[in-house]
Parts: sequence; C-alpha cells; structure tokens
Amino acid sequence: MATDPASVTPAEVAPAPVPPTEGRPAAGLGPWRLGLRRLRRNRVAIAFGLLFLLLVGAALAAPLWAKHVAHTTPFENHLSDTIERDGETVNVVSFDGVPIGPTWRGEFFLGADPNGRDIMVRLLYGARNSLMIGVAAALVTTILSIVLGLIAGYFRGWVDAVLSRVFDVMWSFPVIILGVALGVSLQLGGLKVGPLEVSGDSLLIPILIIGLVYVPYMARPLRGQVLSLREKEFVEAARAQGAGPLRVMFVEILPNLASTILVFATLLVANAVLLEAALSFLGAGVRPPEPSWGNMIREGVERVATAPHVAIVPGAMLTLTVLALNVFGDGIRDALDPRAKVRMEH
Amino acid sequence: MTDLVRRFPVLLAALLLAVALGACGGDDDEGGQEGVSGEAKQGGSITIAQTSQPDFLDPALSYTVNGWEPMWLVYAGLVGYKHAEGEEGTQLIPYAAEDMPEISEDGLTYRFKLRDGLRYSDGTPAKASDFEHTIKRVLNLESGGSAFYLGIEGAQEYVEGDDPEADIKGIETNDETGEITIRLKERDGQFLHALAMNFAGLVPSDTPFRNMTEDPPPGLGPYYFTESVPNRQFVMEKNPHFNIPGVPAGNVDRITTKIVKSLSRQAQDVINGQLDYMQDPPPADLKPEIRQRYGDRYEEHVTVSTYYFWMNHDIPPFDDPKAREAVNLGIDKPALARIFAGELQPGCSFLPPGMPGYDEALDVEECPFGNPNEPPNLEAARKALAESDYNGETITVWTNNDEPSDRVGQAYADMLEKIGFKTELKILDGGVYFQTIGSEKTENLHTGFANWFQDFPHPGNFMFLVNGKSIQPTNNQNFGNVNDPEINRLIDEANREPELTDEAVEKYAQANRLLAEGFHVAPYGHRKLATFLSERMDFENCSLFHPVYQNDYSSFCLK
Repeated sequence: MATDPASVTPAEVAPAPVPPTEGRPAAGLGPWRLGLRRLRRNRVAIAFGLLFLLLVGAALAAPLWAKHVAHTTPFENHLSDTIERDGETVNVVSFDGVPIGPTWRGEFFLGADPNGRDIMVRLLYGARNSLMIGVAAALVTTILSIVLGLIAGYFRGWVDAVLSRVFDVMWSFPVIILGVALGVSLQLGGLKVGPLEVSGDSLLIPILIIGLVYVPYMARPLRGQVLSLREKEFVEAARAQGAGPLRVMFVEILPNLASTILVFATLLVANAVLLEAALSFLGAGVRPPEPSWGNMIREGVERVATAPHVAIVPGAMLTLTVLALNVFGDGIRDALDPRAKVRMEH
Repeated sequence: MTDLVRRFPVLLAALLLAVALGACGGDDDEGGQEGVSGEAKQGGSITIAQTSQPDFLDPALSYTVNGWEPMWLVYAGLVGYKHAEGEEGTQLIPYAAEDMPEISEDGLTYRFKLRDGLRYSDGTPAKASDFEHTIKRVLNLESGGSAFYLGIEGAQEYVEGDDPEADIKGIETNDETGEITIRLKERDGQFLHALAMNFAGLVPSDTPFRNMTEDPPPGLGPYYFTESVPNRQFVMEKNPHFNIPGVPAGNVDRITTKIVKSLSRQAQDVINGQLDYMQDPPPADLKPEIRQRYGDRYEEHVTVSTYYFWMNHDIPPFDDPKAREAVNLGIDKPALARIFAGELQPGCSFLPPGMPGYDEALDVEECPFGNPNEPPNLEAARKALAESDYNGETITVWTNNDEPSDRVGQAYADMLEKIGFKTELKILDGGVYFQTIGSEKTENLHTGFANWFQDFPHPGNFMFLVNGKSIQPTNNQNFGNVNDPEINRLIDEANREPELTDEAVEKYAQANRLLAEGFHVAPYGHRKLATFLSERMDFENCSLFHPVYQNDYSSFCLK
C-alpha cells in the first residue's frame, strides 16, 4: 500500500541537475525526456509497469476467456454440475458445499467458488471492475484535487482557510471508515443530486466515494506547491500582462504541477484499487453478484480450511496489482525528480 | 537498574505467590458456584454470538429467531411452552396466569387469573391491566404479530381508531382480583398459542407506544435486559424478582450476546473458548473438523421450518400464475441444498415435516414441480414463462447479507436468469431485511428470500403467511401478498376449530396442496440447525433444544 510513512512534502519544482550521460550531452534534453531516460534505466520499474499492463490486458480479455475457454459467465452458478477430472466425475460443488479446486484446464482453471462460479472468469471480470474503479476514482480525485488545490493556493485568505479546514476534517477520518460510512448510506437509496440519479448498486457509487475520500491526500500537497509557485516571477509577469486568475492558474501554474500530479495519480490508482477491495470485502463497495477482488476474498474467507483457493487467488491478484502500481509509481517519481519526497500517507 | 536486580528475587516470589493464589483462590466472575452433585452448576457469565442484530428487542415487535431465542427468557405471557425437548416442549403451561384458562363452550371467551405477587424485573408489581396494554402495543405499533390478536372483539376498531389509550372492548381486566377475560369474535384454535407468543409477553402499563429496542422494557421472565447497543451487543442478567413456578430460573447469571458477522470467526471463537455458543450453525468449512474433533459438544437438530421464495402477487410478472409456475419448475433445489452444506432437506411442501397437515408425498414424490431431489425441468419452466404475460422487464430479487442467504439470493437470481427472467439483485443488511420487504412502501418488491420456523406447533402458524387476511402495510409477513379466496376460506375454517381436530388438519393440508397447485410460493427445503458450545459449557447436562425456541439459554450452565 503506502510507501514509507514519512510526512508528505511536495516535490521540488525544478528538476535536479543531471550528470552527463554516455554518448549524448544532457544539455538540450527537456525535463520529460530526461525523465523518460531515467525511467528506461530503472529495469525493476519497467518490469512492474509491464506486469501491470499485462494485468490490464488480461482484464480486457475477460470476455474472450469466459466465452471461448471457460464457456461460462461470471454470474452463472454451477452448483449441481459435474466435470471430468483425471478420468473421474467430480462435483463442481460437493454436497457439503465445498467447491472444486484448480483444474488447470479451460473450465474452472483456478477452481470454483462456493456458488459454483468459475473463479478465473470472476477474477478477470473482477479485475475489470477493480481497475476501472481504481482508475476512475483516481481521475475523480485528481480533477477535484487540481481544482481545489489551485483555488486554495492561488486565492489564499478565507478561501484557503475554509478549504484547508475541510481537508483537515476529511483527513482526520481513516479512509476506510469514511468509505464504509458513505458506502453503506448510499447503498439502499442511491444518490440523488438534482436531476442526477445514481442507483445504489451502480459502480459509480464506489468510484465517487473513493474519489472523494482521497482528495485531501493530493489537494493539500498541490496547494502547497501552488502557494510557492504563485510568487514566482513568471506568474507576476503573466499578471502584469493582464492575465486573469483562471488563466494564471490553469495556463501558468498548472503545467508546473504536472510531474507531481503524474506521480500522485499513479500511486492513487494503487490505493484506490486497495480501498475498493476493502470496501467490497466489508460489503460497502461493489455489490454481489458483480465480481470484485474484495467481495471474492470475502466469499473465500468462510472457506479457508476446505477451499483456500477461493480467497488466495483474488488476494494474490490484488497484491500483485498494487505492488506493480506502487513500484512503477515510485519509478516514475524517481525518474521525474530523484530528490522528490512525494508519499501518500495514511 | 541495580535496585531492580537486587529486588528481583523478591518480586519474582511475589509474582509466583499471586499466580498461585489466583489459581487456587475463590470464585471469579466467570466461574459460577459449584453446584450440588447431579444439579446444574449455578452462576457465572457466558458470551454468545448472533450473526445479525435481532430485528427488535421489543416483545411487541420482534419476529425473528434472533429476537425470540433470547427474549423468550425475558418476557412471559399468560401461558407459555414447557421448557422441554421434543413433543413435551410443545405443551402449553401457565406462566403469568395461575392456571390454564377457562374456555367457554362456544370457544369465544377465555378467562384467566393473574398469579399473585408477580413483579417485573424493575420491581413493579404486575397487574391484570398490563395484559390489555401489552396487546394494545402490538396492535398500535403495527407489529408483524398483529394478525394473531385481531380476532379479539374490539381489536380491529382499536386499530382503526386514533387513540392508543382507547379500550379494547373484548379485553376486561380487574386489577384487584387479577381476573382477565378475553372475548373473541369467532373461535380460534390457535389463540392459546398466540397468547404464548413473545408478542403477548407482559410489560408494565406505562411502557410507551414506541419501539423500545434501545431500552427494552422490563419483563416477568427469568432474565432481563441490562444493556442494549444495537448492532454491537446486548446483555441479559438474572431477574431478581422472577417467580413463575414451572419455568426454570436459569443457571448462569449473565448472558452477553455479541453481534459477529462472520460465522467462521464465531466458530473459531467457540473452539477457542472466547465464545460459549453461536446461534447459527458453524460454516460448512469447519463442520467436518467440528464433527470430528468437537463432537462431544456439537449436535444437529431437524427444525420445523421451510425455506422458500416469495413472489409478489400484486405486481407483474408474478400476478400471473404462469410466471410463478415457471419459477417453481425452474428452481434447482438440490443446488440450493449445497449452499446449506447439507443442512437443508429439499422439499416442495410449504408445511414442513413435523407439522400436522404435512404431506410427505406432496413434499417429494408427488411434488407438482418435479422431485425436489432431482434437477429442475428448465424446458418446462421456460415454456411456462413464454406462456405468461412477462414482457422482459427487470425484476428485483431481494435477499439479506446473512450467511448463506446472500449466496442463496445470488443462486436464485441466476436460476431466474436461466429460466428467462431479467434480474437485479438487492442484498440488504439482515437487521433491516424483513421490515423492508414487509413494507408496502418499498418499491420493486418482486421476489425474494424468506424462511419460516414455527412459532408454535400448529399449521395455522405457517398458513397465516399465505392468508390474505394477514396482509398489512408494514411488518407484513405475507411477503408475496398471497390472497387466494379458497385458501383463505380453508385456513379460516380450520382456524376456527377450538382444537386441532383431524378435520382441521385436513383443511390445512388441502390449503397446503392448493398453495402448491397455484404456485403461490416457491418452497425449496427444510432446515437443520445445530448446538455448538464451548469447552467450559456442560453440554451433556445443560443444553436443551426446544422445538419452538431452538436453544434454551436457561438450560445453559458451566462445567
């Protein structure tokens, strides 16, 4: 999950001086190209980045696997069905309710869950849900954080005071408790804001909840950077030329936050995926029968003794995904600014 | 440091002495008093677990096993069941009443006399007028049990009036003599059982007309509530004023019930001794181990219960019998039995085994939907759906998040999809599920999970769930709004018999058959429950499984 629990400090604005590289002078390369070059040299980060892309690819291929390999859907229960294994006919779910373990073949490749559903199929569809929610929630957080961070840092005064206090209040709640409280309260009635109506079962609910609870974690550091940047000469120059607040914020200041935003966004996806799994495990996230790694782990917890694969498989997938994102995110941070101390604290 | 080194031997000796004294010394709070040889050990505290909060901790309102299992020991009505196993436990005996009632020849008038000297757990003396107040609360709060008392003269008028303090014409009480006279509008063979139900557990006349879950009222039973924190725990302690002959006073002093969602955790805690009893059976995962290693404190019992899916007759598509037929033909009962890990006996009959009127042939070989032990006839189900008025709309399938109801709901939704319905699953918290599906204000109440354990050993207790007269706007227990005139007639006629005669049983059996032939509900089996106690509990001598109230906490004792 989070990297080491140091306090959050914003990254330095100007990239560190780069030592000369072999065969090509450093002078003349922009900060992004320099960053890319550093990233390419970080083989571990690249490997985990590729791993993440592989997981995304597998998730995208879920319908293909379900239709052509497993011949089932993520919702189909095979409670009374049987399959052939090693020349024997075995129950997908025994009379005692114990599901079959991995067959390492097309059908029930990773075994079945207690309702007789194919775990591999649900794992891949669960990946779609978990990753989609993770990325979408990170996007919601990023957009809200940019807007609120810019407003708070640029206008300062009472605007900053109010927004900062809101961030402090939200920060004071552990994200999981805030997430569960919001998730449970929106489950039955859904969300109604004016003409906008979202059903309690919609995936939009966990996206909005997770997106919202992480706003302080990104908005505060961005606000800090904006406070610093607004005093720079280029901002003064822009104001002197008649640029209004909106133009100064979004055209002059925002591009200078890009590297911080990129690093935060990557780490946010990892945390959002983990929070979604936690909420779904607790029954406040993705609702069954829709698969998610969190609710799959929950179903498996009651079967640890006789069918450990039910919990272990989605748990391992979750661990791998979050690890890949964290390592890749660290790699991006190191590449863009080796002296940066960007962390997400919980 | 030097000081500590010098003093270390002294400190060590003191520590060892303290440990020795603690081991040999007097009783601790948990241990209780050593009983006389052959009797249950008295005293001590035990901790038990439920998977979800009881619907209510108010006798007027609670209508779940979660609520009744503890509350049976807190609230006592005029009559109640003997604390015994098997058929003996279905016998009615006087509780707060001195004796069983005098019933007039026409079966319409019941006369009781309250025992002298009864006091509630807070010391308030019990009086005859408390009975009328108790029934008023049931009616005024629109309890799920209201239907049992609407047969009292004036009860319907009381409900329709606006004044909670108004009199119920058919109940006359005399606080000086302790006499209680109840007049019914028509004969009701179940009425004595209705008086034994938790709803009629006496409460003081100043008990407010509101849900008292957070501050349960005092009762006449052997225990009383000393703490209630909804969704966390509630505590019962021995009632110092308890005095009802023939009703056990209980052995342990204090019973703490914790709400623990995870069955696995509950089972592990019972194994480790952190819990003394779990109300729900252990999860399937741990059963083989429990049966093998802890068989000396684990036992399974068949209950008089039915698990079924209700289908709302008031809205499409289940207002059409063909759509209901499709469901009954298409649900896979053996598959559902696996979800219960062998604790469900597949069946088709709404009346369960052990209940008068039960027909084993209807339940199995002559089931109109096919043998429940075999896979369903999906082709026939799809054909029935095609012949129905179903137009492809999405139907909402309701269930709760208690294990295994949530998985039953998911399996049921999938079965409906296989038949050809489009479904959307709604899983609610177990603590609010039955109130939600029992409210007419809830939208999209198409079909969902339900179960019923007998309230009392009388077929009328199951049949009221499908009697049109039971339908009410809140706390409705006839979830499917079943309202077949012929079924209603048979049930009403059978109910009017003062005793459960063969003729009455036959009428209930006919109603049961019509229920199946009209596809009004979709039963799929009957449940087994278990008793699983911790090591420190005296399983051999102190665990009574009651036919109506399941595990009898008043029988529990420590070794």
